[in-house]
Amino acid sequence: MGTFIQLVVDGLSTGSIYAALALAIVLVNQATGLINFAQGGMAVLSAYIAYAFTQLGLPLILAILVAVVVSFLIGAVIERFLVRRFEGGDAHTAVVVTIGLLTLVTGISAVFWGYNNLPFESLFPLTGVEIFGAVVSVRSIATTVTILAIMGVLQVLFLRTKLGLALRAVADNPGSAAFSGLPVGRLLMVGWGLAAVLGAIAGVLVAPQLTLTPGMLDTALVYALAAVILGGLSSPIGCVVAAWAIGVLENLVAVYVPLVGHDLKIAVPFVLIFVILVIRPQGLFGRKVVVRV
Amino acid sequence: MRTMSSVLAHKPTRVILVAAVAIVLIVAPLILPAFTNQTLVRIGVYAVAVLGLNIVMGYTGQVNLGQIFFVGLGAYVTAYGVNADWNIILVFIAACVVPGLVGLLVALAAARLGGLAIAMVTIALPIVGVPLAKRLDGFTGGSQGISARFTDAPDWSGLYNDQWQYYIVLVVTVAAFLLGRNLVRGKYGRAFTVVRENEAVAASMGISPYRTKVLAFTVASIFGGASGFLYLAAVQYTSPETLSFGHSIGLLAAMVIGGAGSIIGALIGGAYYVFVPQLTNAIDPNLTTISQGAILLAVLFLLPQGLVSLPRVIRRLTRRGTARATPGNPPHNSPVHQPATEAAREGLEKTERQDRS
Repeated sequence: MGTFIQLVVDGLSTGSIYAALALAIVLVNQATGLINFAQGGMAVLSAYIAYAFTQLGLPLILAILVAVVVSFLIGAVIERFLVRRFEGGDAHTAVVVTIGLLTLVTGISAVFWGYNNLPFESLFPLTGVEIFGAVVSVRSIATTVTILAIMGVLQVLFLRTKLGLALRAVADNPGSAAFSGLPVGRLLMVGWGLAAVLGAIAGVLVAPQLTLTPGMLDTALVYALAAVILGGLSSPIGCVVAAWAIGVLENLVAVYVPLVGHDLKIAVPFVLIFVILVIRPQGLFGRKVVVRV
Repeated sequence: MRTMSSVLAHKPTRVILVAAVAIVLIVAPLILPAFTNQTLVRIGVYAVAVLGLNIVMGYTGQVNLGQIFFVGLGAYVTAYGVNADWNIILVFIAACVVPGLVGLLVALAAARLGGLAIAMVTIALPIVGVPLAKRLDGFTGGSQGISARFTDAPDWSGLYNDQWQYYIVLVVTVAAFLLGRNLVRGKYGRAFTVVRENEAVAASMGISPYRTKVLAFTVASIFGGASGFLYLAAVQYTSPETLSFGHSIGLLAAMVIGGAGSIIGALIGGAYYVFVPQLTNAIDPNLTTISQGAILLAVLFLLPQGLVSLPRVIRRLTRRGTARATPGNPPHNSPVHQPATEAAREGLEKTERQDRS
């Protein structure tokens, strides 16, 4: 029973990291209709930026805050100068653009910091606390709580503020939003900036565990995409729930199904997707889209 | 002035041209140094993989981020078959059929979602593939990898190994390109294009978008498997590293840079895939990834049709240049006055954005 609870809590904490990336992907998708495959790479770059500032002697929490601000700017600049040219055009070209962006961002990280694993200080202590006979690390719990808090902030931002209303309007229908006098372009930049911030948070939360490498979040991105497919692109809550489910399930399967084990657990969400797609092609929480000719 | 295409349309000229190219391709390895032959062989290997990717992505519009998985699968099947002493023809068939079946399975699930879901599912293939290849060590040799030699030149041929490998790769590559060309020019190729342009229209024309996408993906996987066979013929060794995520992105970049939706583009893409890492590695290995991303984005910005469209673009630019140089002559040759098109495109983009819901 102890192991089980521990696995569940650890699963929730890794699931939270996938959830942050998945939320970033959904945010960009809802605003611009494209999937940003560079989200993981951008998050790694943010983590490297935080790392660089700690190397300069800044306390960790300040370095992370600086990295978050810089990430926001990077996201906004990428939207303005790179992605905007391809938005609203061919969706497949836009995907290739984000793949190119992923390669470029990974390359930038590699040129500045190399391919060697760099240690990244943890924001939370690794000490354990006992819950129902299981020793769970404070870091696992704190990660989950952090993501929950961010979800709360996002919820307030989207539902209670003018900016949130404007962002939702642009996401829902850019045309009508523009007719209502909303600065659509600037709001899209804000949307990308916010997505980059979410990625940055995922990056600094996962970096202590994985140590910094340019490809650190490639796997996490795959999990995040799986969560997005399962939860449905139109449902932020759906994909958070899916990310948690994936995190918990893969942890349990890795331990209780020796055939899969630790190295193959990444196949778990995709087997799940296989099964679910056959039953519900629109995702668990997604809506069916009706196409007119 | 006769353009390149009008020369090619002239039948006898075309026959002579094809014959000349064929003779060059057949004689070349006997003269060239071994290293050049090996480079050409590798271009052939990757050109077949890029061709498959082009069929599913360039022609059918399904973003496939997992093509390297099928290349790796083909390579592993080949290694297994060779080490189990199967007939080499049987090995080749297995190297095509097994990835084809796996591709069919993946597509059956992924094509249901349509749109970008195939991209999201296929990104998992190389990332699941690497640990899977390590795990199935009885079959794949684990992280050590597995080697299989079957392309040493037989004594009767009097050839060196690199020349023998060249001919094997040449035969399969030419066959693959002829098959690919006929496929995209025929009935299925038209179906691919309609599905890429508009799935709803395709459905109303009686073309099932689902079945077309599954077909294209399966065909691409078969080409990937054939490429894996060639990879083993050339390198004689494969390991989980062969099917890493970075290589898959590399293939995608090669396809886009060569030219999506173009058969010749696949060949250029294969050459790009082999040459550019060689070049950047010679300068600084750290630059490989960054240059690949930068080149990919630059091509998307400047030459959205890929390198294959370069001659056309240059011709247009030079024509406009001469038209401007002679002011008395109205530039009836150049299509439309450029600033006007620019403005029109801007306007169109804006309305398109507004139309989207």
